[in-house]
Amino acid sequence: MQSVKPSGHSIMENTKRAVRAPTSVEAQEVHRYLMDFKWEFEKNRTKYGTKYEMANLTKEQFKLTAKEYARMEAIKEERQFGTLLDGLDRLDAANRVHPRWAEAMKVFANFLECGEYNAIAGSALLWDSAQSPEQKNGYLAQVIDEIRHSNQTAYVNHYFSKHGSDAAGHNNPRQLRSVGPAFRGIKRAFGDGFNAGDPVECSINLQLVAEACYTNPLIVALTEWAATNGDEITPTVFTSIQTDEMRHMANGYQTIVSVINDPKAKLHLNTDLNNAFWTQTKYFTPILGYLFEYFSRYKVEPWYKTWNRWVYEDWAGIWLGRLAKYGVTSPPSLREAKQDAVWSHHDVAILAYALWPLHHWRHELPDEVDMAWFEENYPGWYDRYGRIYDEWRKLGFEDPKSGFLPSAWLIENGYIPYVDHVSGVPFCPKLAKGACDLRILERNGRRYAFSDTYGEQQFLLEPERYEAQDFLTQFEGWELSEVIRAGGGLRSDGKTMIAQPHLRSDNMWTIDDIQRIGMKIPNPLKMH
Amino acid sequence: MSGRGSSEGLNSKNGQAFIDEFLDEKNMTVKESRDVVLVLMKSEEMEVVVDDIILGEQKKSNPSIVVEDHASYYWIKADGQIVIDVDIVADIMGRSYNVYDFLVNVSSTVGRAFITGNVFTLTTELVGLDEALV
Repeated sequence: MQSVKPSGHSIMENTKRAVRAPTSVEAQEVHRYLMDFKWEFEKNRTKYGTKYEMANLTKEQFKLTAKEYARMEAIKEERQFGTLLDGLDRLDAANRVHPRWAEAMKVFANFLECGEYNAIAGSALLWDSAQSPEQKNGYLAQVIDEIRHSNQTAYVNHYFSKHGSDAAGHNNPRQLRSVGPAFRGIKRAFGDGFNAGDPVECSINLQLVAEACYTNPLIVALTEWAATNGDEITPTVFTSIQTDEMRHMANGYQTIVSVINDPKAKLHLNTDLNNAFWTQTKYFTPILGYLFEYFSRYKVEPWYKTWNRWVYEDWAGIWLGRLAKYGVTSPPSLREAKQDAVWSHHDVAILAYALWPLHHWRHELPDEVDMAWFEENYPGWYDRYGRIYDEWRKLGFEDPKSGFLPSAWLIENGYIPYVDHVSGVPFCPKLAKGACDLRILERNGRRYAFSDTYGEQQFLLEPERYEAQDFLTQFEGWELSEVIRAGGGLRSDGKTMIAQPHLRSDNMWTIDDIQRIGMKIPNPLKMH
Repeated sequence: MSGRGSSEGLNSKNGQAFIDEFLDEKNMTVKESRDVVLVLMKSEEMEVVVDDIILGEQKKSNPSIVVEDHASYYWIKADGQIVIDVDIVADIMGRSYNVYDFLVNVSSTVGRAFITGNVFTLTTELVGLDEALV
């Protein structure tokens, strides 16, 4: 590390200190003696037991005191809200966002809000579990950060709903997102992955994989897509969120430092890392690619390049690769993850279009410009997916009088959709080009579908963890309009749907148009 | 293929050529990297940090540093480490500015980042494991 040379400013500061009575103590000196105030226990008395032994000598890389933390966060808030409420408000920024991208933000802001809210609990249980005072201090700041982020993501929705052109889906998504089949995967990845089970596993899921790996495309790369598509709101908020995530990544590293010399790490760490990587990848690889590429008019780069840079070359190489000498190995699921990075977002996109009435966003089919871009970057895309979109358009995908539902078309044409029981992500084996290996398991009179062996193995190890019903089982036999009503999927007139298969304000679908079709939710598990 | 810029190396390829190499058997496991990545949220202070520190003294001592403008943020990649002496930034700006002020606009890091006094370090070294973190 280079030495700190005295600058003109530091000489001035030192002179001030020398000629005045001391009025304060340096923050890092305060941090040093605060860390000496600690309870000494013979045994860690956490209520969240872990199979690992967390060492008590780990350090906090950013040496936070309440005073410096609060000052730092206050500056962030002043800058963020100053930008949004002063400059951008007068510039009518919310109405200059490309309408497609404004719909994407209904999804991004909501699922990030879910993640941030669950991370409050995740980082709090880690605070309780850790033994090192410095490690606890880092986790404690994270608890407060996550509360801030929950507010920020909710505020993005508030801002768009107040100032943008289509409030529905920004202002009332919480009920609908709990029902929607495209949203349930977030509960596994950003929900119980963060705050249920062994605390060290939670840390690996939350801090080492979700934050150190996937927040970079989700929160950093996203801001470039946003700016390119006219969104001046999201970059200010999301890059500000990420300034805290940077400390959370350090917390995850310190979790690893605290356990890596424990002999039990040799037994468990690589398995836990592979499970966490697959858990986060299974949802984030398809959903981020889908949102970036299918909700943008102006595309920054193919999703696989973003994934290659942030996930494979940087996160895997710089985090996992450097830890190899401590026994950390390449996750076996990396092979399937890479295949998914190329194709799984297209697999999920076509199912998301098919299930459009159940979402809290509007969604237009890829047009000629999109299709040319997809085919150029994903050779073979049109033959697998594009021709289906063209056929749906001809059959009246957008027209409320057409009586056409793409989900019914899929089933009639033998494209049976399932929901992976562990990840909660819908899949269609006949359409999938990403990693997909349909597995049906019967246990205690119930049937479960899995799209891969990693999820099936996680289920077999902890079946009690996955008791919740998937969407197709829960709503089997319901008429589609009943599910939409149950989820609160209607606009304020009580008739027009929040979800729409186009972005226009005319010719919008109402609940009557859906009811008239009379589609019943099938359970594909009963077809076997 | 190697390359440090975000569109270099494998990312310079397109379409099927990219896919073939990305999914090639030799690329199916983690490859250790000694690079570090720093993401700075654009702001008045970060313009000084990028122009005068990263592209100034840091680039002189570490020519591997690459700085890219990604609309809302600066993406910076380097071999080994990036060190920001925040006292120098304060001196250039002519006002009080400490390492916690600097953290207000540090959006992301890949590598091990830590502060010591008024210096921010992002390193490939495994601090706390291979060497003590003070």
